[in-house]
Amino acid sequence: MNTAAKFGSLPRKQAPRVERTGTPMSAAAQNDAGPTADLRQVELSIGGMTCASCPPRIERKLGKLDGVSATVNFATGKAKVSYPATLTTADLVKVVENTGYTATLPKTAPNAEADKQTAGGEEEYDEHTRSLRERMLVSVGLAIPVIALSMVPPLQFTNWQWLALALAWPVVVWGAWPFHKATWANLRHGGATMDTLISLGVGAAFLWSLYALFFGTAGQPGLHHGFELTIQRGTASANIYLEVATGLTAAILSGRFFEARSRRRAGAALRALLELGAKDVAVLRDGHEQRIPIDQLAVGDVFVVRPGEKIATDGVVQEGSSAVDASMLTGESVPVEVGPGDGVVGATVNAGGRLMVRATRVGADTQLAQMATLVEEAQNGKADIQRLADRVSAVFVPIVIVLAIGTLGFWLAAGDGAAAAFSTAVAVLIIACPCGLGLATPTALLVGTGRGAQLGILIKGPEVLESTRRIDTVVLDKTGTVTTGKMSLHGIHLAEDVDEGQALRLAGALEHASEHPIATAIATGAQDRVGELPSVTEFTNREGLGVQGVVEGRAVMVGRATLLEQQGIILPDDLRVAKNQAESQGRTAVVVAWEGTARAVLVVADTIKPTSAEAIEGLRALGLRPVLLTGDNDTAARAVAAEVGIDEVIAEVLPKDKVEVITRLQGEGRVVAMVGDGVNDAAALAQADLGLAMGTGTDAAIEASDLTLVRGDLRAAVDAIRLARRTLRTIKGNLFWAFAYNVAALPLAALGLLNPLIAGAAMAFSSVFVVSNSLRLRRFRSSSPQRA
Amino acid sequence: MAQSTYTVTGMTCGHCADAVTEEITTIAGVRQVDVDVAAGNVLVTSDNSLPIEDVRAAVTEAGFELVEEKA
Repeated sequence: MNTAAKFGSLPRKQAPRVERTGTPMSAAAQNDAGPTADLRQVELSIGGMTCASCPPRIERKLGKLDGVSATVNFATGKAKVSYPATLTTADLVKVVENTGYTATLPKTAPNAEADKQTAGGEEEYDEHTRSLRERMLVSVGLAIPVIALSMVPPLQFTNWQWLALALAWPVVVWGAWPFHKATWANLRHGGATMDTLISLGVGAAFLWSLYALFFGTAGQPGLHHGFELTIQRGTASANIYLEVATGLTAAILSGRFFEARSRRRAGAALRALLELGAKDVAVLRDGHEQRIPIDQLAVGDVFVVRPGEKIATDGVVQEGSSAVDASMLTGESVPVEVGPGDGVVGATVNAGGRLMVRATRVGADTQLAQMATLVEEAQNGKADIQRLADRVSAVFVPIVIVLAIGTLGFWLAAGDGAAAAFSTAVAVLIIACPCGLGLATPTALLVGTGRGAQLGILIKGPEVLESTRRIDTVVLDKTGTVTTGKMSLHGIHLAEDVDEGQALRLAGALEHASEHPIATAIATGAQDRVGELPSVTEFTNREGLGVQGVVEGRAVMVGRATLLEQQGIILPDDLRVAKNQAESQGRTAVVVAWEGTARAVLVVADTIKPTSAEAIEGLRALGLRPVLLTGDNDTAARAVAAEVGIDEVIAEVLPKDKVEVITRLQGEGRVVAMVGDGVNDAAALAQADLGLAMGTGTDAAIEASDLTLVRGDLRAAVDAIRLARRTLRTIKGNLFWAFAYNVAALPLAALGLLNPLIAGAAMAFSSVFVVSNSLRLRRFRSSSPQRA
Repeated sequence: MAQSTYTVTGMTCGHCADAVTEEITTIAGVRQVDVDVAAGNVLVTSDNSLPIEDVRAAVTEAGFELVEEKA
């Protein structure tokens, strides 16, 4: 038997089943034979992939095994591996693990408990944050007694300095280790960052203290730190600066920890996206309906979607017709009518009748999964913002070093002796690193974030507030952002001699019996205007066209113009004009007829939020250029844009192209904020310099964004951008003052007049100032008076 | 002992660094490989100076691109 024949003999549906369940081999394949041709497939879950370079690496590693080929999908964290019978799945798992990732075999049955455990684990801090927390707690605990001993003379018992040393060294060596490591890494390519400054300050203070203790006079019993503001030159070796070394380390570690804690968890957007999909599906097998978990669904399976259910995966309608609400994926507010032969997309909602759908794509190939990939790529592609503190340090560090060397040279030349000159130079280094430096950014972010939360602005990635680039363009998604995203009755045009109340009552009653979103809009609108609706008899739903029935003894028909034409009902000219006008504005027009005559045209449209126009005015006042971005048609978009006061419209954008629009705008040199709510906005939100999601929107959008506007009120976007700017200004102010106190102390140090009291005071003042300056952010007020 | 620094593009995370380290380490005579992902620098310590082709091949094998050898 040749290889080809053997492959051919495998029943078509068997291969995916092996892959789905992870059963080593189907019975058929086992009986089938030769070891060389016996390829098995398995889908492994891969953990620990952090960037787009990971999948190719795993693929290559697996590919090195004889006869193995693999495709790894970064977005879904799944690897599809085909491997020969000479290998076991354990071999594959081992290879993946040796490459530095984790691999697990697919679960044979959904294991809710295990899922919950993983979810719980992810809520915990990541490794980096945990290690920072540990270092911070230990350092703070040890630094407090050291600072107390050094700054409060009554506590200075005989030989206190040795206790201080014992407490200080773990802080300086282990606590500040991340800074030393980063400094070393930077040094190798000649860079200087905030870490360099910290390491320098901590190191200088500690090494000097060691020298003073062992070789100077500071080690003698009875050492006291006096309260005089100046000291005699040349007595430096009697001073120790352990409080500087420990206080600095503890303060900066605290800052780092608070920042790390608030940082966004990677992959959250992705999980939110994938959770959008249906969990199980009613599949039709051998003529019977059977509920199976979604991951067991294979291409070619036919499944049933009841009204109100999510469509399980991408497919083609076999039977039935319905309206599908795809707004969360496409942003299109009008439901799409589908019938046999039409394609449907997974995770969209069947709003109308029962559908039979044949699956065409499953798992990682679906549009939803592809959307997830887009989001992930946008998030990964986002360049890290160079920290402000680092940029300042990059300038400051060389200046300090030059100053220290200059000081050394000056005092040597002045003939003060090597020891005195050296100690003065070290003093310059000791005072160089402001304690407030480490607090400048985190405290401002912390207060800004807290104040934002009170105003209904949740800030997820606070580091974006530090972005120094000024936002100049704000891209607004139409559906769900500028508009409510829900259809509602917009207006009514009556034929001659028709009573509005009657038209609404009859149409509303009939539509009340239908589940179509447009029908619901009409029924609700009618109810609001005329009150209780009469009952309907002989109700018939004409799929995709409209409905008919008997209300108050009249045969009523509500639907598209084509439905009426089929019945030989002609639309009078004035109604036709009204209908065409409404449709040219992107609204939906529905005709009402009774007793064989067209009586009214009802206009249904997505309603603009009442606050949108005000919000856009506010955005303009901040100097931003609003741009409306939508998947809807151009006329509909322009109608909305005109109503809220936006000039720039980018319409008819496919969901996957939204992110490209943002990239293009960025390419034009614009700094873009994006406001959106839908799954289709998620990638664009991640790509934008500042992503703002509507709290009323999808989880995917919220996770992909930097800020969430809890109330879904666009006016909050104005506050959010103002808050971002205010926070950045505060950070800059903080950095200035953090350095100012220490810069002021630098000349004292260079003159050899530094003592532990001055060093400690500079540290304390800069910290207190930074914290209180950050607290001023709490006074930030919303620009719209109605809100707190 | 010889030390060379190479510029490698495309590395974005710790795994990338591991991949590059792993591949370069397989070249005979390599003692130590230090990767700085942020700067894209790879510092290789080896017994003798390495032919750049070997290093380039190793980097390519890891899935990245070697741009230049720094002076």
